[in-house]
Amino acid sequence: MVSSGTLHVVATEMTVGSFAMAGTAFLLAGLASHGVTRLEAYLKHFDHIAHFALAFGLLAMPLAIFSGIQSSPGDGIDHPLLINKLFLSSASLGLALGVLLARRSRGVAIWEHTMSKRWQMLGGMVASGLILLTASIGGTFSRGESLLDFFHLPYDMVPLMPMWLSLLVIIGAVLNLVAVRRSSNA
Amino acid sequence: MKRWLVMGLAFMLLAVPSLGSANPNGVGDGTFDTQCGGACHGDADMNQTSSTTVTVQGDDVVYEGLLTSITVNLEGIETTTSGLLGVFLLSDLSGTRDTPGDAGWNIISNSEGGNENYVEIKVSPSQDSRNVTWTMRAPAVGTYQLYAAIHHGTEDGSEAPFFGQSEAPLIIEIVEVPENLPRLTSDFDPITQREVGEVTTMMIETTFVSAVSVEWRVAGSDVQTADITALENNRWSFEVPASIQPSLIEWRVHLEGEGPPQTTPWFQLRSEEVAWTIDENVAYLQSLALILVMMAGFVALQYRNDSSISPSNKELADLEGGVE
Repeated sequence: MVSSGTLHVVATEMTVGSFAMAGTAFLLAGLASHGVTRLEAYLKHFDHIAHFALAFGLLAMPLAIFSGIQSSPGDGIDHPLLINKLFLSSASLGLALGVLLARRSRGVAIWEHTMSKRWQMLGGMVASGLILLTASIGGTFSRGESLLDFFHLPYDMVPLMPMWLSLLVIIGAVLNLVAVRRSSNA
Repeated sequence: MKRWLVMGLAFMLLAVPSLGSANPNGVGDGTFDTQCGGACHGDADMNQTSSTTVTVQGDDVVYEGLLTSITVNLEGIETTTSGLLGVFLLSDLSGTRDTPGDAGWNIISNSEGGNENYVEIKVSPSQDSRNVTWTMRAPAVGTYQLYAAIHHGTEDGSEAPFFGQSEAPLIIEIVEVPENLPRLTSDFDPITQREVGEVTTMMIETTFVSAVSVEWRVAGSDVQTADITALENNRWSFEVPASIQPSLIEWRVHLEGEGPPQTTPWFQLRSEEVAWTIDENVAYLQSLALILVMMAGFVALQYRNDSSISPSNKELADLEGGVE
């Protein structure tokens, strides 16, 4: 039987690989939409690759999270690095969902407007960057080092909000989504 | 609908090996019957026999209600690459109600810093033998048996369950306490855990004792003598020095009085780094909040720009249909 540790490696490689491809495609799509020489013709391809890779990475992410929790030593999440991994992957998950929802609701026209195409490119790239940062923390946790160590990021600090503030943020976010949905239907 | 069903099924199949596997990271220390040695790995009938030799050692005769130490000795250790090994101390091997507590024993401490009959230890790859010690208060007068058992996975990661047990039980005769026997009071409960860098002051209460001396040692090194202070009402105190790293210190007391001199079993005092803890519910809730706020924030941001898209672009968007 495949152990959680092995499955976690497979799942994280699928997730990180997809997000890395998505990040690159979002950059190229952004450049193409800004009229960078000889890239305009490929905008549609970059757009499809970026969003498909992002969607595939999102599908693989829950498996990576479940297998990661199963394979982590000890009971539950009892290390600052694991908490930061959880937060960063959650932020990436939310941002990636937002990017895909925006693309779904507005279609390829999202690359036509100056601000929307910049936000779409940035959103996709930041979601990918957050996943790469999460993978970097995974390397620090399991092997004690990662490629991003030269940044000296404060992985040991956990920015934890009180429960009431998290609840407030959730309520605000849900209301926001409902308001946007109603406005778009109007 | 069918597409979502297929995707859900595929995801479940991917997750099954993870969710349905045994407990490669252990189940944690606890009070468990030996049946858990099989149940934690699935059906007990699937167990294979561990090559580790398990023996139980301790005194043959113990006074009723007084403390004694029982050591489980493991030789030729076989376990997983992670070195995780579960060790049970048991009153029988029936698989139900077979903890020492079920037979009347009271576990005061174990060498891993807890007071349960099941401990999970980490064995380094070069380690061939290991001892785990329990300090227990003896039950009522009678003859008792104690067994030990272990369980673990395999080095090749196949997670095949292995189970091993002591060949023969340790048979202990519990006898009545002589009237004037020098001893610790019946409610004595030693400190078993502390933090690294912390000096520990131990307080002991005695009965029929006129003189006390204390020995301590870091596991595997020479025995030291502690300075003891006599307090009033048969109370005594001494200090155990701070440790500079996680370690195990053992100590015992020599008691003298009118009756025959007595020596207590070795008590274990484990030093641990200050544990990092967090309320997991708060973390999971914040995680959910991050997902929703990032999604809502980005959708709102893009929606704000929506009104400025020209009609021709909107038509293009309708034509493309977006990513399904």
